[in-house]
Amino acid sequence: MKNKKWLATPYLIWSVAFIIIPLLMIVYYGLTDKEGHFTLSNLAKITTPENLKALGLALLLAFISTVICLILAYPLAMILSQKNVNQSSFIVLIFILPMWMNFLLRTLAWQTLLEKNGVINNILQFLYLPTLDIINTPYAIILGMVYNFLPFMVLPIYNVLIKIDQNVINAARDLGANNMQTFLKITLPLSVPGILSGITMVFVPALTTFVVSDLLGGGKILLIGNVIEQTFKQGNNWNVGSGLSLVLMIFIILSMVFMSKTEKEEGEGDIL
Amino acid sequence: MIKKHAQRIYLALIFILLYAPILTLIALSFNSSKTRAKWGGFTLDWYVSLFQNEDIMNALYTTLIIALLSAVISTILGTMAALGMQGMKKKYRAIFASISNIPMLNAEIVTGISLMLLFITLHMTLGFKTILLSHITFNVPYVILSVTPKLKQTSKSTYEAALDLGASPTYAFFKVTLPDIMPGVLSGFMMAFTMSLDDFIITHFTKGPGIDTLSTKIYTEVRKGIKPEMYALSTLLFVTVLLLLILINTSPQKDELPAKKKTKKRRVGAFLLRRALPAAIVLLFIGGGFYYGSQNASNSEKKVVVYNWGEYLDPEVLTLFEEETGIQVVYEEFETNEIMYPKVQSGAVTYDVVCPSDYMIQRMIENNLLAEIDFDNIPNVKNIGERYFEKSKEFDPENKYSIPYCWGTVGILYNKTMVDEPIDSWSVLWDPKYKDNILMQDSVRDAFGITLKYLGYSLNSTDLDELTEAKNKLIDQKPLVQAYVIDQVRDKMIGNEAAIGVIYSGEAIYTQKENPDLEYVIPKEGSNIWIDSWVIPANAEHKENAEAFINFLCREDIALMNFEYITYSTPNDAARELIEDESIKDSKIAFPDDEDLENCETFHYLGDEADEIYNDLWNKVKSY
Repeated sequence: MKNKKWLATPYLIWSVAFIIIPLLMIVYYGLTDKEGHFTLSNLAKITTPENLKALGLALLLAFISTVICLILAYPLAMILSQKNVNQSSFIVLIFILPMWMNFLLRTLAWQTLLEKNGVINNILQFLYLPTLDIINTPYAIILGMVYNFLPFMVLPIYNVLIKIDQNVINAARDLGANNMQTFLKITLPLSVPGILSGITMVFVPALTTFVVSDLLGGGKILLIGNVIEQTFKQGNNWNVGSGLSLVLMIFIILSMVFMSKTEKEEGEGDIL
Repeated sequence: MIKKHAQRIYLALIFILLYAPILTLIALSFNSSKTRAKWGGFTLDWYVSLFQNEDIMNALYTTLIIALLSAVISTILGTMAALGMQGMKKKYRAIFASISNIPMLNAEIVTGISLMLLFITLHMTLGFKTILLSHITFNVPYVILSVTPKLKQTSKSTYEAALDLGASPTYAFFKVTLPDIMPGVLSGFMMAFTMSLDDFIITHFTKGPGIDTLSTKIYTEVRKGIKPEMYALSTLLFVTVLLLLILINTSPQKDELPAKKKTKKRRVGAFLLRRALPAAIVLLFIGGGFYYGSQNASNSEKKVVVYNWGEYLDPEVLTLFEEETGIQVVYEEFETNEIMYPKVQSGAVTYDVVCPSDYMIQRMIENNLLAEIDFDNIPNVKNIGERYFEKSKEFDPENKYSIPYCWGTVGILYNKTMVDEPIDSWSVLWDPKYKDNILMQDSVRDAFGITLKYLGYSLNSTDLDELTEAKNKLIDQKPLVQAYVIDQVRDKMIGNEAAIGVIYSGEAIYTQKENPDLEYVIPKEGSNIWIDSWVIPANAEHKENAEAFINFLCREDIALMNFEYITYSTPNDAARELIEDESIKDSKIAFPDDEDLENCETFHYLGDEADEIYNDLWNKVKSY
């Protein structure tokens, strides 16, 4: 397969032009002050208590959302993967379908649903049930993240699950494994690549979002994404904004390294 | 059996979660009230007016074309890259993989800005091309991500077996590898298409004037409340896709298995239904897109590039202007002064006429970004009241650069049924009685301005002690605040979500129309009085057209049209005379008396350093 390497060339050129070079410009801005002199002060801005808090909160919320997404998505992907092939592709598309309604509109719709006098509370009141007061709290943000990013978790896991050879599972059964054992020893390990890419695809946007926290957090909850966005937009300070982005990237890269390590270990195992 | 039921219930629950907002949006598209906070009865009007709304239709087609092109290109690029990566040495593969992950992992805003920086450095005109390039850039990683797991699962031996059996590598690839990874490629394509469709932030930074995708269009509308046509459009889009999916998937089972036994005729029929019809619908959309695109491209020499606040002009006015003068208007909107400024400053796009606020005009003058306006070309300027020019001297000392367009105050909007005492002071914003019933402005200058005024200082204070005091005051207030918002104050107040909100006077008239319980007041401690004026950037390419445009807007009947559409106070005295509704003509909200404005100040540009202090303090408040 070695002769296929050249296939990557067009994208290699593309990524240098549109990923590496723009990124270097961010690095340049992040490491210089307004006059263009070298400085580390932009990076140091992350250590102010409010920025640290925003970063910590973002990490926490992104982590919780990712876990919830995983818990919701895995059984879902399993159910879907057991369906008949054609029917299931339809069902899978149904899960991407909501994304055809604009992201901003969908998130705004949650506002309408969750508000104090919103749809959900009206229904609850009608049924004489206690009302739900989560709008403008971190819970609403988590809900918004889970809602928006769930498909990113379902799809990769589903894609891996449908590839699993049914014979392997049958073999496990024949050898006397019960459902639980089959799942833990066969299905789960084989689906690790999907889980990992799912985690990546949920954790990262959740960590860096500012729109969800803005619309559902009532502007009261500041995540690191909001800080960066405000620095660029309101503060119009590209240097500090770039500096903070660089710090954020370090965190992302760290989690990626961790991921690829895990993947490698698992990868060796699943050949058998 | 129980397991089956449990599965069904689980699926149903997830469905509810996913589709509740969608149903809400669909319901809103039939809501005859313009605000999302109130149900005004069933109507189909928005569907009718949608198709007359050229802006939205244009945005739709731009969105679809960009989504399709970028998805196709990135699927090809991404699949090739994924294949190529398989053949690389482990080390290089890891490096390549991390590079390709960057656009996905990076904060979107960073990707957007970094690309904007690149395009500006390369002197590329921001527009369709730059959006497309950016979308491809962030789409490819998604394709790689969905193809790679599939590739990992395909066994090399099948491919090698094909080679051993005499297949050429290309043949083996198309016969063995590709069918194996096809689901991954397809889902990559779908993903890319959908991501492109859904993207906002990156598009926002890499787009130029006169081009809008649905996202950027919606974002400008979030500021002012979404136009119901947008709900109608989303509903249509959603239903179309749903129909397509159903068509493609109808009775596939019967189709698949006994296919061989079927007569040719029936197979052709099924083929038509399942493949050709959806394809035709898609082609129709795309064809329509190119048609719209080609119409737009009619690049007449006579044009004027306008950069205005979102929802800050009656669209009818633009049509009238084009008809009367033959000058084509390229219209773009911004959300905040701070977004507008770097775009004008960078010169990436040359605007001919822009509408910033007072303090930003001062900043633009100080940085030599503005051209002097030739008042001889604007005879209608006589309609603008002298005192507005007087007021403008605070930021445009010689009245050379700006012509007032709208003005107003910042004040308190309160719900008469939800407060006990007469409201006349900022102090209610700190009254624990109204905990969770207060909507505060989510902008640095406004939030600090109010607090400084309440404390008895100038809202242009740069005194660190005063500012720190204000910051502490704002932190005290935070537990009482229901939400920090900008223009959503309007919808939330109409929907009785809160008792008290800080709002611009121009919005107050509109909210009163929708909810008569609402009342607006300029607190006695004083407030901000602001002016938004038309200016011409120094690098404008069509200065005379810009002046013709300003002159047109100063005409009394046109100014009246705009006033009635946007309900922000007009400085056009002649237009005010024409207002028929006496209650509005003499409205204290739209046209407050001088004594109401006694303590009011305009914002000044305080310099970069002070800006930074304000932002730092505001971040402290927000993250407290």
